[in-house]
This record gives sequence, structure tokens and C-alpha cells, in this order.
Amino acid sequence: MITHRRHGPNTSEQGVYLGASHTKLQLIHLQDTPTLATAPLPNTSTMSCRDRTQEFLSACKSLQGRQNGIQTNKPALNVIKQRSDFTLMAKRIGKDLSNTFAKLEKLTILAKRKSLFDDKAVEIEELTYIIKQDINSLNKQIAQLQQLGLSRTGQEGKHVQTHSNSIVVSLQSKLASMSNDFKSVLEVRTENLKQQRSRREQFSQAPLSASAVHAASFKSSVLMQDESRRSNEVSIDMDPRASQQLQLIDEQESYIQSRADTMQNIESTIVELGSIFQQLAHMVKEQEEMVQRIDANVEDSQLNVEAAHAEILKYFQSVSSNRWLLIKIFFILMVFFIVFVVFFA
Amino acid sequence: MLDVKVHSELRVPRHRRCHRHLPAKMATSIREKQTAALRRMLNFNVPPLKNTVTEPVWKVLIYDRFGQDIISPLLAVKELRDMGITLHLLLHSDRDSIPDVPAIYFVMPTEENIDRICQDLRNQLYESYYLNFISAISRSKLEDIASAALGANAVTQVTKVFDQYLNFITLEDDMFVLCNQNKELISYHAINKPDIMDTDMEAIMDTIVDSLFCFFVTLGAVPIIRCPRGNAAEMVAVKLDKKLRENLRDARNSLFTGDTMGAGQFSFQRPLIVLADRNLDLATPLHHSWTYQALIHDVLDFHLNRVTLEEGAGSEALPAGARPKKKNKRIYDLTAADKFWQKHKGSPFPEVAESVQQELDTYRAQEDEVKRLKSIMGLEGEDEGAISMLSDNTAKLTSAVSSLPELLEKKRLIDLHTNVATAVLDHIKTRKLDLYFEYEEKLMSKSTLDKSLLDIISDPDAGTPEDKIRLFLIFYITSQQPPSEADLDQYKKALMDAGCDLSPLSYIKQWKAFTKMAATPANYGNSGVKPMGLFSMVMNTGSQFVMEGVKNLVLKQHNLPVTRILDNLMDMKSNPETDDYRYFDPKMLRGSESSIPRNKNPFQEAIVFVVGGGNYIEYQNLVDYAKAKQGKRVLYGCSELFNAAQFVKQLSQLGQK
Repeated sequence: MITHRRHGPNTSEQGVYLGASHTKLQLIHLQDTPTLATAPLPNTSTMSCRDRTQEFLSACKSLQGRQNGIQTNKPALNVIKQRSDFTLMAKRIGKDLSNTFAKLEKLTILAKRKSLFDDKAVEIEELTYIIKQDINSLNKQIAQLQQLGLSRTGQEGKHVQTHSNSIVVSLQSKLASMSNDFKSVLEVRTENLKQQRSRREQFSQAPLSASAVHAASFKSSVLMQDESRRSNEVSIDMDPRASQQLQLIDEQESYIQSRADTMQNIESTIVELGSIFQQLAHMVKEQEEMVQRIDANVEDSQLNVEAAHAEILKYFQSVSSNRWLLIKIFFILMVFFIVFVVFFA
Repeated sequence: MLDVKVHSELRVPRHRRCHRHLPAKMATSIREKQTAALRRMLNFNVPPLKNTVTEPVWKVLIYDRFGQDIISPLLAVKELRDMGITLHLLLHSDRDSIPDVPAIYFVMPTEENIDRICQDLRNQLYESYYLNFISAISRSKLEDIASAALGANAVTQVTKVFDQYLNFITLEDDMFVLCNQNKELISYHAINKPDIMDTDMEAIMDTIVDSLFCFFVTLGAVPIIRCPRGNAAEMVAVKLDKKLRENLRDARNSLFTGDTMGAGQFSFQRPLIVLADRNLDLATPLHHSWTYQALIHDVLDFHLNRVTLEEGAGSEALPAGARPKKKNKRIYDLTAADKFWQKHKGSPFPEVAESVQQELDTYRAQEDEVKRLKSIMGLEGEDEGAISMLSDNTAKLTSAVSSLPELLEKKRLIDLHTNVATAVLDHIKTRKLDLYFEYEEKLMSKSTLDKSLLDIISDPDAGTPEDKIRLFLIFYITSQQPPSEADLDQYKKALMDAGCDLSPLSYIKQWKAFTKMAATPANYGNSGVKPMGLFSMVMNTGSQFVMEGVKNLVLKQHNLPVTRILDNLMDMKSNPETDDYRYFDPKMLRGSESSIPRNKNPFQEAIVFVVGGGNYIEYQNLVDYAKAKQGKRVLYGCSELFNAAQFVKQLSQLGQK
């Protein structure tokens, strides 16, 4: 697993990125929202089928009982076969993907909050970073998986190849859809931040700016007064108020600065995601072609078989006509030979 | 109106047996129900949870031709991929071993399929096996598999064995057919063969009843059965009643237990199934239709919701020396997701043509919008002053870009319908189908004819020989008095001159004589039956969609015989046509021979099933009927779906005997 340092402000020993599968537990503490992941949804479908597994097993048992008298029981085959590296890796990536999905869901919940005061900026930033890392590492892992799939192309059958190929493609498309979701969540977040800022401006900034101007005017007046050097009392009277305002402005500015930083962060994330998108684009395109139905290939193959049959017939005809030619030539040669032997020898 | 069952959705401990969950709403269509059943099967027979967090499990789907026909109209490859199906293969194709993947089988329990499964088990093709049978597998076949599994030491690998009861093909939300493979076994021809053996007939009926039973299991309701007396439909009804009854009696294994509890108290909510026989109405399948879907089915190759168009090589002149180009086939799927199709499949064709034109115009407008936006953006790069508008335009551009895929999809659909409609229009023009349609409507409504039948038959420009024989057959079926021998000879001669095969006529003659003897009430010749309804015609020459030369005919609503029967039975109307229909209620303890219905409440939900083949004309008629009646739902089913050409072929086979 790739380890990364976490970008968060609290750099404790916890702040080590352990890969997608390890961050899940730790995330549970972040937010105590109800986990949607495990809630079973109401099942609206009727069960119109009948399970006959038990019947099958009992049939097996009775048959085995009958056979036991005749032949000795063979040693049971090792059922749990060694799974290939490819499958294991694909499984792991699938698991990581679903974990990341869970995180993304949490992030969505957090990001969609519009409350002005309960803004969990730190957590969101942390989650965003983690998910970004996850997506990156998943992308790398899928690329590795693809390499693995390609490397064993030669030794496996065609179907295995198609199978592994479509696993890779499906993983990729899932990742693509996830990064798409991620992007839209980030956009929502940006939008929210914007709104928050405008709201803040409405309720706090507007009077503040007015007072700032006020203060500035006072200041200028103070300066003027300084210049004129007439009454010091007024300036002393004004000073604490003005400094108070300035302090306020400073605070606001630092807050705005931090906001701007966050925005920049999000924007850079979006740009990074863009590059991932491009990598995935051609793969997803393959997926697009799969709107077809399962019986599409059958007719094609039938046509192909017919075409092949026709070609083979053609070839057969040409071969047989060639054969006739050869036989004729051979026959003529024989005649000459016999004529030669009989009449000239 | 529909009973919404209140039931707890608490998580029940998973039992070994299947748990029947009550449907939240009865209103879900049969297509949704079958799709849900398929999805559950593909999820290893565990009801799929609807969230993305579940880990993907990759698996292989193995099906036979039957399974293929069932799945293909319902689930596209993409949806299968989303469910983790990486490969979908035919059972009888060459399959390589994929050792670490579970395989889901979806096959009919036939001998050769079972053999093949056993072979797969022996060859250790996959990691584990989920066997799903389309209809119930018999005990002996199950034992065959068991012994093969024992022999291969693969008993533990056979993880699940299920009977799916899905042996029917859903084509629309409210339409199904029984089968597509081997459909000649239960065709009209097979049922009405004069030399049919009793055992063959039994086999045919068993096949039909098995599929119908599967249909009701999937629907999750026990119907009340009505059928006419003395034909194949009655045999089906008796057998279906018996099968449902046996299943209900065996309470432990019943497939209906779950919701019959709820539905029992509201017995009027049970669906009604009307089993009709094709012999009731032979004219409709021969009729030239005028609605979009039925026309496509009639003149094009329309099969399991898929149209195949042959690209005519004649449209563009080929260079003289070039080899004749291979015929280009274009395949279009007409799916439920296609809104235009859903809206217009039942509209008369001229209306469809107009709507295609309109759609095209709106699409062009949208495309222009995007183009305009592009040009504005291009301008703004230079214009310094308009920078303030940039952000606004960026938002617009983003929305335009995100709407692009949608627009592309729309374009695809419009292209599809333009091509299909053009192909249909070509047929209408070359065969003068409007003329035939109009004339046949008049024949069936017994209004005065403005042109003699002989003229049309002998007109070399109008239609193919097949169109002519269809017209004549309709004339013959609907006429009250059979034409005199001299007239008939004249017609025959004209038909022969036009190149028609006259063997269907000989069968229709027999049929007509027989129905006369039996005096089937639904006969067209019966004067008690009202005329088929009025038919209005509007001449519209200036249509936009190159419709010149084709009359713009507008349909007027009228009920076909099947719809009329359904109407009588659903509303419990008294009518000599339907009064002696037999009545079966599989839930009654003792089967009654009476034809008196027990309850007098009108039905809200009905299924019409035509034994011996159906068509889109009747389907459309029923859909229109259900639309007109508030709160009623009608499903249409048939043992086989044929168009007029296939039906004429079957009739001629019957006539040759």
C-alpha cells in the first residue's frame, strides 16, 4: 500500500494515509451520520422462484448413499482452489472502490449542508484529500491490473481474456463515475462556499465595510486634525474605535484568506480530476458501445459462419478445378511417356 | 383503487426457503416484475440492494436460446455489465474454462441442456454454479445433474438450484408472448392441423399452460378464467385451472401463498383472464394496419422489439464493374426508454410522420442554440468589454456541454425513427397500403364500397399478391353470403392472374363452413353484432413528411372482436356472445361446470390471451380500450406473435393438406 502524509492541520500519528481500505474505520469517528451503506432497502419484488437447492443436495446424498456400496468414495476435491492473482487484485480493488464510495457519500452529506455556523471545513477538507488520494491510488492499481491482465494474455483462453478485460473496464467505469460524483460534490461545495460568503457579506460585511469607510474618514479626519494640530482629544477619543475596526477588518481578511485558500484547493482538485478523466475517457468510450443486446452477436456470428462457408466452398471449387488440371497434365505426360517408351525405345 | 398493501419491511431472518415479499404496489407492470426477477437471479437469487456500496462480484452468464429471448428485450448488455456480468455466452457454444469465476446458468430444463451442464461440471469449467431453470425441472433431471456432480466431485460447487418460472417473453409493459424458439410447435397451424394426434395436442396444450402458469407466478396473482366453449382455448383453460388448483392445494410448496392472503379478502381485485381462440376472429390478423407499431411489424422485419432494415442497394447507383455490395443490415432496438416510441407506437402513421418531422425541427433548434453559443464565445475572446458576461456564458456553455450526450441520444432516436418511418413509407407507397387499409375497413364495417373488389385485385400496381389474397380473404370472411360459384371463379381467376397462391382460401372455406355449422356467436356474419365502427378519412395532401400520394387516414376508435369480448366479461355485461363462456375459479374448492360467474363485480385488471397467435393490431386496440376506461388495466398475451405474411403462410399450409 502506498502511504501518504495527510494534508490536514493536525499531524498526529493518525495522519498517515494507509490506503483506501484502512481509512474507513478512522472515518467513522469523523461524523456520526447514519451510515447509509448498510441500511437494507425495502424489497419490492416478489419472489417468483422456487429454491430447489435442498432437493438437489438431498438427491446428491441419496445417490451417494447408493453408490457407496459399489465404489469407494473418492477423496473430495479441493474446492477452494487457488485463485489467480488477477482475481484477488480485482477483488481488492472492488472492495477499495466500495469503501471510497462510502466515504464519498459521507462527503456529499457534509458538503450539502448549508448551515452558516456548523461548517465542518476541516473535516470536509480532510475527506476531500483522502478521497483524492484514494482515487489516485485506485487509478494506479487499475492500471497495474490491466498490465497484469495483458501480461498473461498468451497463456489463457480467449474467454478468460474477455472476462478480465471487462473486469478492468467495469472497474474503470466505476472509478470514472465515482470521480464524476466527486467532482460534482466539490462543485456543490464551491457553490455553497460562494453562497455562504455572499450571505456573510449581506449580514456582516456590509455594515463592516461601511464602518471601515467611516473609520477611514475618521482617520483622515484625524490626520487632518493632526495636520492642523488643533484638538488632540478628538483623536484620542477616536483611536480605540478605529483600531477596533481595523482589528475586525484583519480578522475578516484572514477568514476570507482561508476561504480563498479552500477554494483554490478545491479548484486544483478539480483540475487534477480532469487529468484522471482524460485517462479514463478512452476506456469509458468502450463502455458506451455496450448498449447492444445479448442476441446481437449471435446473428453476426451466424452471418460470419455463412460467409465463411461460402468462402470455403469457393476455395474447394478452385482446389478441385486445380486438381482436375493436374490430373489432366499428368495424364498427358503419361501418354507422351508411353508413346515415347512404346514407339521410340 | 389499487390495493396498496401495508406490510412491515423489517428485515426478516433469511430462511432457507424463498421468501415471498408482498409487492408494495400492484400497479407494477409485468415487464418490471420480470426484470426484477431477472435481476434477482443475476444477483445470486438474493434480492439486490439498491446502493452502490456493495462490492462487485464478477460472474459469467450462461443461457440457451430460450433464456436469450427472455433476457434480450429486458436487459441490455450495459445493464448486465453493471450487475457484474463480464461474459454472456450461449450454453451450446464452445466455452473456455474460467476457473475462478462463478457462473449463472439460465436455461430450459431440456435433455440436451442438462447433458451440457453435466459436461461442464465434469470439465470443471467454473468456480461455482448457480443453476436457474426457466421452468420447473423434473426430479429425474435433477437427479441426472446430481449424479454428474457426484461423479465430478463438484457437489459443493453447485451452489444453488432454482426454478425461476419465467417461461414467457415480455415485449411491452402490458404484452407478452410465450416463446420464440420452436414457436412452430404451438402455432395456429399446429393447433388446427386436421391430422393432429391427441398426444400432440396434449403436448401443445401442456407447453402453453406451463408458460401461462409461469406468467401468473411472476404476476403473483391467481386469476379467474373465462373462455369460450368447444375449442383449443377451452382445453387450455381446463388445464390451467387444474394446474393452478394443484399448486394452491399444496399449501407448503405453493407459489402463491404470500399474496393470496392479502388478495383473498378482496377477491374482486383478482385479475380476469380471457382465453380467446384465434378462430374467433381470422380477419384481424390479415388486416392491413395503419398504426405505427403494427405497420412496422407488418411490413418490416420486426422481431422481439428489434427492427432489421435491409439497406437497399438500389438507392444509389452502383458502378458497373463493382461487385454487388453485401447487403447492409441496420438493426434498431425499439426500447421502453425511447419516449417517442412509447408515445407514438399506437398512433396512426401520418401522425407519426408528422411528429418525426416536429422532433427533427426541435432538435435542429437545439443544435443551433449550441452553435450560436459557440460563435458568441468565439467573438468574446476579442471583445474586451463583454468580459463581465463571460461568467454567465461559461455557465451556459457548461450546461450546453452537459446536455450534449442527451442531445446525441436524441439525435440517435430521431435518426432511428426517420429511417424506420421512411422504410415503412416506401412500403406504403409501393404497395398502396392506404388503399388496402381503407377498403378493408369498409369491408369489415360493411359500409358501401366505392370500388369493386375485382378492380383492386386486377390492378397490377396495387400491392403484392400477398396483399391481394389478404384482401380477398377478409372479403370472404366478412361477407354474409358466400359469393356465388360463378363470382368465386371470377375472383379466383383474377387472383391467379395476380400470382396468388389460393391454398389459404380453401382452408378459409372449410373454416367458414365449420363456424357456420357451430354458429359461433362472434362470427362477423352475425347480424346481431354491430358494425365495426365508423371510419373517417381526411385527405391531407400538403403533409410535410413526403407523404404526398398517401392518403392521410385517421382512425376512429372501434373495438375488435377480442376487445368486445373482454369488455363484456370485464363489466359482467350480459351479451349472447359471451354468456355461455365457461367460468373457472382455481381458488374454489370444487371445480364448477357452470358458466355463471360467482361474483358480479366488474374486474379492474384483465389479461387477454389468444391461443393460436396474436398481433399488434389487437394489442393496440386493447391498449386504446384500456386508456378509454379509467382505472382498468389490460394485458395482452398470445401463444405466438405473427404478422399477416406469416399467418397467410400458415393458412396456406393448412389449405394444402
